[in-house]
Amino acid sequence: MWTTAIALAVLVIAGLIGWGVWQSQKSDSYAAPAGITDDGGKDAGVLAAGTGPVTVEVYLDFQCPVCKQFEASVGPTIDQLVAQQKIKLVWHPLGFLDSLSTTDYSTRSASAAGCASDGGKLKSYGDALFAQQPPEGGPGLSDDTLIQIGETVGLTQPSFAQCVRDGKYGNWVAHVNDLAARRGVNGTPTVFVNGTQLTDRTPAGLTAAVNAAG
Amino acid sequence: MAGQRWALLRPWLGAVSRLILGGVWIAAGVSKLDDLAASARAVSAYRLLPHDVATFLGGVLPFLEIALGVLLIVGLATRLCGAVSAVLLVAYIVGIASAWARGLRIDCGCFGGGGDLSAEADPGYAGEILRDVGLLVLAGFLMALPRTRYSVDSAILPAESTSGERYVANGGSEVE
Repeated sequence: MWTTAIALAVLVIAGLIGWGVWQSQKSDSYAAPAGITDDGGKDAGVLAAGTGPVTVEVYLDFQCPVCKQFEASVGPTIDQLVAQQKIKLVWHPLGFLDSLSTTDYSTRSASAAGCASDGGKLKSYGDALFAQQPPEGGPGLSDDTLIQIGETVGLTQPSFAQCVRDGKYGNWVAHVNDLAARRGVNGTPTVFVNGTQLTDRTPAGLTAAVNAAG
Repeated sequence: MAGQRWALLRPWLGAVSRLILGGVWIAAGVSKLDDLAASARAVSAYRLLPHDVATFLGGVLPFLEIALGVLLIVGLATRLCGAVSAVLLVAYIVGIASAWARGLRIDCGCFGGGGDLSAEADPGYAGEILRDVGLLVLAGFLMALPRTRYSVDSAILPAESTSGERYVANGGSEVE
């Protein structure tokens, strides 16, 4: 019976270690990028574009091929709705797919998007990241490449480069991940129109939902 | 005599079961270690438990799986480890079957990963359940017949010898 006691103790201790490690990895404090939308703890996206009355929230991951497809198919419609001042576009850049690159590209690119938001060019930077999305299973894009892409959209200031290299908004990305999971968002892309999840993620589906909400 | 062969074979089958089951637990645990937040999200994606309970399990399970795997491989308290394995496997099978039944399309997160799948990806629920049922059979075998070759149990509890003759003499039972 004493072997059972030892084994039970080992299992309980392993569980406690797991709990401790998990707790220590969670960070409650994070640096928030410019343009963050805080609606009382439920939400920590960043305003990407627009001033319209209807809020369109997109949970995205720059490593996610389906997000790239969504960007290609529905992106022009979103841009149009922004130009018509119908919507406010909020992005939640997630780091869900860190396991799909050898360098945690998912979190690094989302953090870089926070840096781009500081520079006032989140939307054009994000679009550029999707255009140059690295394949799954590889090393992702290097920090140097993330900085060069910033230069192509006008993020030439040294503070942007420093912010990318420091991974300044990594903790914020973890926070966005956590809030997303809490909201029941387990995959990307996920779209909400005025708080209601959009099931028909097509240009027509989005337009209809925005018109209904507005 | 078939019974005699079985008595000789049984401790070896048990040892193989321990190694397979233990190896799978260690692989499953280690694959989740480098991203515990992802492990927590994987549990959360089953949409079965409150978020905080799901993230707690996501943080704890990888370590529990590794500890269970090590105990099985060294062969300490094999019956208990078989029982804990069986409980975990039944929970996993129920979770996957329930995700399937509810029409969810998730990555089971069994060996890292997790979360919703894209429209074209195949969740592969049937294969996962089949694998877990296979492992459940091994766990059940170890619960029923925990005395196996090359185990700490048989080394430190000499009262029940691991010799083949002993098993034959007892007609396959482990009591004297």
